[in-house]
Amino acid sequence: MNMLSPAAEQKIDEFFNLPFDDLKGVRCPYFNNARINRRGQLRGLIGRGSPKEIVEEAKILSIQYHKDIFDHTGHCHLGGENETATVTECIRRFLIDNNLGIDCAGFVSHVLINHFKETNNFNLARHFNFENKNFFRRLINHLRPIENMSVLTYSQDSNTILIANGTQNTDWQKIMPADLIIMMETGPKLNRNHILLITDNDGQTIRYVHSRAWSSEGQYGHGITRGEIIINNPTKNLLEQQWLEKNQTGIANETFLEAKNAKTLEIRRIKL
Amino acid sequence: MMSCEPFSPELLEQAMIYLLSATVGSFVLAPLLIKLLYKLNITRRNEFDFTLRSSERSSKIGTPIMGGILVIFVVTIITLIFNWERKYTFVPIGVMGISAMLGAADDLLNIFGKKRRFRSIEHVKTLMRIHKSWQTRLWYKITLPLTYLKNFIGAFGSHPGRGVLVHEKLFFQLLAGSVTAWWIYAKLGGDWRSLWVPYDGQINLGWLIIPLVILLVMFTANAVNIADGLDGLAGGSLLFTFLGLTLISWIEGRVAFTLLNATVVGTLIAYTYFNIKPARFQMGDVGSLGLGALLAINVIAINKTILLPIIGFIFYLEAFSVVIQVFFRRVFGRRFFKMAPLHHHFEFHGWSEEKIVMRFWLIHAFFVFVAVWLSFH
Repeated sequence: MNMLSPAAEQKIDEFFNLPFDDLKGVRCPYFNNARINRRGQLRGLIGRGSPKEIVEEAKILSIQYHKDIFDHTGHCHLGGENETATVTECIRRFLIDNNLGIDCAGFVSHVLINHFKETNNFNLARHFNFENKNFFRRLINHLRPIENMSVLTYSQDSNTILIANGTQNTDWQKIMPADLIIMMETGPKLNRNHILLITDNDGQTIRYVHSRAWSSEGQYGHGITRGEIIINNPTKNLLEQQWLEKNQTGIANETFLEAKNAKTLEIRRIKL
Repeated sequence: MMSCEPFSPELLEQAMIYLLSATVGSFVLAPLLIKLLYKLNITRRNEFDFTLRSSERSSKIGTPIMGGILVIFVVTIITLIFNWERKYTFVPIGVMGISAMLGAADDLLNIFGKKRRFRSIEHVKTLMRIHKSWQTRLWYKITLPLTYLKNFIGAFGSHPGRGVLVHEKLFFQLLAGSVTAWWIYAKLGGDWRSLWVPYDGQINLGWLIIPLVILLVMFTANAVNIADGLDGLAGGSLLFTFLGLTLISWIEGRVAFTLLNATVVGTLIAYTYFNIKPARFQMGDVGSLGLGALLAINVIAINKTILLPIIGFIFYLEAFSVVIQVFFRRVFGRRFFKMAPLHHHFEFHGWSEEKIVMRFWLIHAFFVFVAVWLSFH
């Protein structure tokens, strides 16, 4: 199978077009709760909500704090019919200003849960191993799995198997949709982890999708993004290929830069 | 006169006199109270109340609060002068007073008080490590369980950092509940240690009646407070509830409670007249906590404790909606309702305030009649 399941593709599409009534094209922004460290909160407010939950929180915040963006029926007050682009941008800014969005692991979790439910009738959230011995932590993980499915847990051997090491030569045909590119200890301070979800591999190009924030895009440019890795040198490792995202390659492509800086760069597959 | 024959016409006539006098007295006092509240600037402020920030509710800014003083004052005065019985009305009025004073303090501090410091567990743990004074570090260590408790209880509060904090409120309500429990257990006699059950007679609870009474007084006071979120909702619903209680007390020939409940009904008629949308004043915590405590005590005192969730149906429904919402939010990270309490959920669905209030009144009235019917069995 060279594609993600229709349910997973639909979930990705929902993140690209958040399900606001009568309004298409609001791309889900990136939000990482580590910045403000909200605890025990609604998952929509900590960067782990589903598209529907993010939309609902946006509407509730708008009504509750008199922002006049949505009314009680969910209809958007902004702009006219010919101003869709402006309205879309305005809503994105509203989401970002109110810390609504999704982080990389949250996004991957939502998509993969749908993918494996449809393809393998396998509930990923229920079978995920959090490797925690503390009873209360285990209970919390069981009750709130998506909030606890981090890049670190995806990188553990109990949940995923290593397909390829990013710094070694790889058999590119082995890589399949729903595989994960995991970057550990990256970013300027080497204290961040990041995860990409592979959506497609035709042997020449690996396509991926992820939730990320590039420093070059400013405060309002980030969010769910697609990218691709063009296999120009099949005999070489992942970092020797051409990473293309938003028409940027090389170190201008910050995803590639993160991959390059990562202490560990691996391609892994969920253990079923 | 402590008790008389059931269905006594004389008692009913007397109750009507109390009811009508309380109504007239309250109608006379209400405009004066509104003027006074405006003069003292005891009004709802936008900056302290997030529910006012929606466009539909912004018209409430500037409405006087603490209108519940009207009910508390009139009921207390009439009872003190005409219906004072040390055995029966002393404690209900006293506990209502304690709860009302707590509510008044909360209302006033919410308006005039400074922002209060509320430390998170992480903050306290950090201070335990880095504070320069070892005595202070020790103090934080000793009081760490209290910090956990404060943070846990604080999750249910609606005004974090301002007014009386939730754990302080619960402490005073525990005090009010304890006074009631002591009164029920020690003063009213052995009959009140048994829980009346419809169709089935009695269940003897013994000393267990004490925690039950404390819990019910605390929960009911807060439940009425929670339901007091829309114009006329708490006032109208309390009117039906105390009317039901008046009927039950009259049916059973409990003189003091018939007259006390009738007095409350009378004042609530005037209060609700001024409180329906657009409200001339709002109840505030002074009224909702006071009347909530009085409701619980009166139901317990006429030995119909088991009917409390039915005769106070809408209050319990609203309170449980908050409990469910907080539970889902904290445990599953999702919303059960769009917003809690329940009336806000319907507001988010686009129901008008009037529609919610009137439907809630009717549903509540139905359950009050169910409670009255059950009291016969």
